[in-house]
Amino acid sequence: MKFHNIVLALTSLLMATPACLADIQLGASVQMTGSLANTGRYYADAYQFAVDKINAAGGVKVGDTREKLVLKLLDNQSDVNLSVRQYVQLITEDKANFLLGPFASDYALADSAIAEKYKVPMIQGGGASDQIFSRGYQYIFGTLARATDYYQSTIDALLKLTPTPKTVALLYADDSFDVSVADGTRKILAKTPLKLVVDQKFSSNSSDFSSLLSLIKSQNIDVILVAGHETEVINLIRQAKSLNVDPKLYSFTVGVPSADFRKALGNDADYACGMTAWLPSKDLKDEYFVNAQQFADEYKKRFGYDPDYHAASGVADVEAFVKAIQAANSLDPQKVRNAIAKLDFNSLYGRIRFNASGQIELPQTMIQVQKGKLVPIYGPKGFIEKPVYPMPAWSKR
Amino acid sequence: MQLLWQILVNGILLGGFYALMSLGLVLVWGVLKIVNLSHGSLIMLGAYISYYLFSYFNVDPFAGLPISMLTLFCLGFLIQRYLINFVINAPMFNTLLITFGLDVTITYLAQLLFGADYRTINPDYTGANFILFGATVPLVRLYAFGVSISLTVILWLFLSFTKIGRAIRATSQNLVAARLYGVDPRLIYALTFAIGAAMAGAAGSLNGVISQINPYIGILFTAKSFVIAIIGGLENTLFVIAGGLILGVVEVLTALYIGPTYTNLISFGILVLVLIIRPTGLLGRTA
Repeated sequence: MKFHNIVLALTSLLMATPACLADIQLGASVQMTGSLANTGRYYADAYQFAVDKINAAGGVKVGDTREKLVLKLLDNQSDVNLSVRQYVQLITEDKANFLLGPFASDYALADSAIAEKYKVPMIQGGGASDQIFSRGYQYIFGTLARATDYYQSTIDALLKLTPTPKTVALLYADDSFDVSVADGTRKILAKTPLKLVVDQKFSSNSSDFSSLLSLIKSQNIDVILVAGHETEVINLIRQAKSLNVDPKLYSFTVGVPSADFRKALGNDADYACGMTAWLPSKDLKDEYFVNAQQFADEYKKRFGYDPDYHAASGVADVEAFVKAIQAANSLDPQKVRNAIAKLDFNSLYGRIRFNASGQIELPQTMIQVQKGKLVPIYGPKGFIEKPVYPMPAWSKR
Repeated sequence: MQLLWQILVNGILLGGFYALMSLGLVLVWGVLKIVNLSHGSLIMLGAYISYYLFSYFNVDPFAGLPISMLTLFCLGFLIQRYLINFVINAPMFNTLLITFGLDVTITYLAQLLFGADYRTINPDYTGANFILFGATVPLVRLYAFGVSISLTVILWLFLSFTKIGRAIRATSQNLVAARLYGVDPRLIYALTFAIGAAMAGAAGSLNGVISQINPYIGILFTAKSFVIAIIGGLENTLFVIAGGLILGVVEVLTALYIGPTYTNLISFGILVLVLIIRPTGLLGRTA
């Protein structure tokens, strides 16, 4: 870890030295090590990729000059308290002009308070919990779709499937993001004929789901909706397999869009549903990366793994700052903040436009793993591809 | 009723794994009087060894168990002989610090070496199960249970009936007397730590088959092992089985009847209660 930090410090030093003082400093504290490093890396890599690309295209136009972006990236070691201290450090010591966010709602929730306190705008693409945006803060903006809406597309699709599912189990972890997802999902379900039979919260980092799964099996529940973390989802699927728990469909807020999740589970990942607000497509045009597909290809080439919506969201955060700085024609935090609030542009991630509370509105596309591949199932315009439903029983795979 | 039976089966199978998971910690604690906070990271290493054996050399995780145990045995021996032995007589706080430091080092080295990707050991038979009086019994969990109980019993036999085993127990009970009888504590300590590490390696390999692997799984294992050590006491490795089973069953029952958010609250609540009521362990001899 120390070694990692030293290498990181040296590289950032090397990269920072030739640049002149007027550069635009973007500060971020991200989970590069620790339990969330697996997803945190998307942000570290995406921020760096976007900054390099924008600098290569000439940087950011402020007045008559073009300024380079400098990324000051710190590793919060998956420790939310350290993350808060690092954001204070980024503002007070490193003199970061603007802040990019960490991964995960719990972190964004805590770190955005620092942005607000010092009145330095933060655009974050890692926290989706509605809680982050319900406090009337002026300096926090988010590019992830609202947590409460995550299951909207899935539930819309469920109502149009035959045989129509009747009963639902909702399992969710006890952190800010997953609790928000559950709150939203409950409200969406209440408006439908679907019956919420099991509604259970579990502690983050739980590894044993045998009780919940046995309960679900004993009640023969049609659909399992899970809001949790990748480790929990992997355990849950493996235990469902070993206990022959065969719902007609199950869906997860995380994991399904990530390549390493599908790799970890192999064939067992098949038929798992999820959602993503982003899929690489040539239709998503971008000023710096041409389009989302090209971004995905270049990203894979540079970092050796496929990007998912976390990475795209991270790139959108950096681009949003560039657009806002250029619109404000200034580095003044207050002016840039106002420019961010008025932004409306298309990026490889989608249309970036923040609502009054600072969050983006982005529809989720329901996805399913079919033969190891991600297949888009249901989007804002209805069915895209046919889901495998009901999913085959474990004993018949 | 059917559900309760299924839940009990789940809990017992989980408890068997818990016993093996905590065995190394209990042994080292009992003999060396050291709470090895790096115990969980040794389990994690065992899991990675089995993962790589399975993924790259197609070695079945159960067949690969001896390899991961032997590797961890050697590693454990070296760790004790050339690191922990220097602080063996230092105050408890120092040994806690050094094993904590070791845990952090191993964890972060693992991330550098193996990456933060989630991994599983997924042989064809992971989905196999059979029905026992209406309850589904997953085969891999049953295997893991069998291996756990066997290793625990073997360790108990080893400690009770072999010369080295008796030397280990003697060292634990009375260091001075053991020395007078010609026991070399340095060797015994290193051997004990090595055996503990080997057990951790075995637990790790089994964990890879029933759960998932990443560099950060260790801390939870250490915490749960600690609870089991407190319930079962440090005197008899067979009590560890009971400790594991109690924790496993309590956890699954809590998840079903009280709610899955409360499992940790209840398990660690038991820890606090036992420490207050019976500080030598629920099953251990009172002082």
